[in-house]
Amino acid sequence: MSEAVATGHGATVPTPAVRVQRQTVSGIIAMAIGIGVLITIASMPWWASQGLIRNVVELCCYIAVAQMWNLLAGYAGLVSVGQQAFIGVAAYMMFVLAQLWGINPFLAVLLSLIAPAILAVPTYGLLHRLDGPYFAIGTWVVAEVMRLATSTFTYVNAGAGMSLRVMTGYSADERAVGVSLLSALLLLVTIGGSYWLLRSRYGLALTAVRDNPVAAASQGVNVGRLRFLVWIAAAVGTGLAGSIYFLAQLRITPPSAYDPNWANIAIFIVMVGGLGSLEGVLIGALIYFFADRWFGEYGATYLVVLGLLTLFMALFARGGIWGLICKVVDAPWFPTRRILLEDKR
Amino acid sequence: MSAPLLSTHGLVARYGDFQALYGVDIEVAAGEIVALIGANGAGKSTLLKSVMGLLPVAPDMVRLDGRPVGGSQPYRMVSAGVAIVPEGRRLFAGMSVEDNLRVAVDHAARAEGGGWTLDKVFGLFPMLREKRSTPVQSLSGGQQQMVAIGRALLNQPRLLLCDEISLGLAPKVVREIYQSIPSISQAGTAIILVEQDVGLAQSASDRLYCMLEGRVTLTGRSSETSRDAIGAAYFGASHAVA
Amino acid sequence: MQWLDGLIQGILLGGLYAQYALGMALMFGVMRIVNITHGDLMVLLALIGISAAASFTLGPWTTLAILVLIGAFIGYALQRVILNRVVGADPLPSLIATFGLSIALQNAMLQIWSADTRSLPGGEITQASFQIGAMFVGVLPVIVLVTATVLTGGLDAALRFTRFGRALRAAAADVEAAALTGVNPKTVYAASTAIAVAILGFAAVFQSMRATVAPADGPFQLIYAFEAVIIGGMGSIWGAFLGAMVLGISQSIGFRIDPGFGILAGHLVFLIVLAVRPQGILGKG
Repeated sequence: MSEAVATGHGATVPTPAVRVQRQTVSGIIAMAIGIGVLITIASMPWWASQGLIRNVVELCCYIAVAQMWNLLAGYAGLVSVGQQAFIGVAAYMMFVLAQLWGINPFLAVLLSLIAPAILAVPTYGLLHRLDGPYFAIGTWVVAEVMRLATSTFTYVNAGAGMSLRVMTGYSADERAVGVSLLSALLLLVTIGGSYWLLRSRYGLALTAVRDNPVAAASQGVNVGRLRFLVWIAAAVGTGLAGSIYFLAQLRITPPSAYDPNWANIAIFIVMVGGLGSLEGVLIGALIYFFADRWFGEYGATYLVVLGLLTLFMALFARGGIWGLICKVVDAPWFPTRRILLEDKR
Repeated sequence: MSAPLLSTHGLVARYGDFQALYGVDIEVAAGEIVALIGANGAGKSTLLKSVMGLLPVAPDMVRLDGRPVGGSQPYRMVSAGVAIVPEGRRLFAGMSVEDNLRVAVDHAARAEGGGWTLDKVFGLFPMLREKRSTPVQSLSGGQQQMVAIGRALLNQPRLLLCDEISLGLAPKVVREIYQSIPSISQAGTAIILVEQDVGLAQSASDRLYCMLEGRVTLTGRSSETSRDAIGAAYFGASHAVA
Repeated sequence: MQWLDGLIQGILLGGLYAQYALGMALMFGVMRIVNITHGDLMVLLALIGISAAASFTLGPWTTLAILVLIGAFIGYALQRVILNRVVGADPLPSLIATFGLSIALQNAMLQIWSADTRSLPGGEITQASFQIGAMFVGVLPVIVLVTATVLTGGLDAALRFTRFGRALRAAAADVEAAALTGVNPKTVYAASTAIAVAILGFAAVFQSMRATVAPADGPFQLIYAFEAVIIGGMGSIWGAFLGAMVLGISQSIGFRIDPGFGILAGHLVFLIVLAVRPQGILGKG
């Protein structure tokens, strides 16, 4: 194929008429819908109720956290059960910047991302020495360390937590505009960013790493470096979701910031929706969101079902719901494949 | 006429999308030494793996004493009396020579084979006796191969499959190992030798099969098969021209 | 004197952690999987034991025997029904499957036993202690430590000298070659998980006699077991024992520095070991 490209223009050699197709009709439609959704979310303050805005912000955070976990587990081969470490550290950083240092809270959300990025470096440095499953438990230890350390750190009011009182300086409308724009940005960065990443040459490398790390390494992919970069990116994306979530919550405590339930949510969404696909994350997040609204009142029973469903998917349907859909129709919303087409003459 | 010890019938095997065997029929009688020769990728090792149950095949494709056993779990093949010296030896790293051998003793076939004991194996390969407490990874390649053969024998097989036992060893060591073949055979064990070295295979066996691209291209008594016939079967007619 | 006391209490606490860690080291050594329900199963066994002891007025040692049997059965079933389907080179399926099961199990226990903390009445033995110099050492913690030592030694000897032990080590080294030598991997796997959970039966009785258990405790015990295994050195039975001692001592000394620092001290020692000696204390290479 490379030869065909190299000699393609005006050469005497007959050119095999091959081109690479990277977009599909379904993909273009989905892209248009996606842009529409982003604009809708950003414009919520002008038409939506406070309650709806709160729900949409929460849903956006679920999608973002789940997609970042998907990037790790579904592509980089890094299974984490401690992503709440990055949620908490970013959210606390945002509270420190806004509440203690007096920085504009909306700006503080963006600045706070430095914290998960910094935390991600030594975490990876230490944990990548552990074998697959042990890596996962290691991430949990890191999240526990962050929770316990924050609980004894008097600068952030230790176990009692903090309130974002500076937000009283903004009107309800101003706050709505801020969180809506940030939520749209969150989706753009995590979903759009992942889409862009997977369609770039890094995407090919990532897919290769997912399918066979040893073979990928032999083809010149620096697997270790790629995993490290994805780990950092996922930490930052997860952190952004955390900062926005707690900006809307206005209150933070160590147990809520470093809640292991974030890992449960991410894993459930990705495993039910479909590991290794962007479509699956959106499907899974919607299912989780509505299940939580409708069945959350059943408490423990609901969580038993959620846990068993995750177990079931891991045993019998690793591709999740999107995997099942793909067996029936081939209409990706986010096409990341390169399809070789031969032109008819 | 009684059924052969082992026979394959239109044996087909694949690794995912890649088909490696296209209808292979071979037969091994009790006590016989059969060589399986062929170029790299001809399907010799695949044939052994299919017989041992490492690749999915239909029950009727592999028969032991005439009974269909294709696709049985490897440990069931062992207890039915088929043992293998796997390619690359595959010893249990971190365990001593004796413990490697004892795993086979613990899981030997119920059917009576050659009646192999640790002592008999040490008699066959005296070097192993003094190294019995040594971890296998610190042995030389030849010694490791001896452990692998001893381990397979202690499974008390009626049929022993040897996958490339000369690979990567010095000629002197290869001779030493091949000297053990007649004594194994005399104990009543049939042997399939997969071998790259055609001359060695021919001299050590009663019969041979030559494979090419997943098919048997030649079969005959080892002593009566000419070099030219083997050459043609080994490389195939089309390759010979090129 | 306070530090010496901390050291001794730490070693005794380590005896309990060793009982969590042994099973995890065994299962990881053979199958390369981590069972996330490890801690939850200990809690489940403890709650079953507490309920059974109350209903049938059983003594702690009868309860122990029953829990070890139930543990072995649960482990065998867990392997046959779930883990055999997810063993493999990819760590994700086994992690996710047991993660989902862990959530289900914790919440099911929450419904059956409520969120209350419970403990197993152990009679006089929980109060008994003897004096060494100016220090008092509890009899029960010493029994726990002795039990842990015997279990570790027994498991180590079983792995070295028995038919099952050889098959298990062979499967751990190269599962396909073991199968080609006549070992049925599924039998070995089921036996090792049965042993791992049976040992949790000991841990369950001692944990609920020494302190309390509640349905949400599992993840913490899982983390302690994991830290002990990594500190000691992966794939080594005595390493897990030693790691449990180090973890117990770290927590105990940390607790004496500041009560809020105990658990954190254990985590920090784990991270330090990971930084300076990632193969663990007894690990090679």
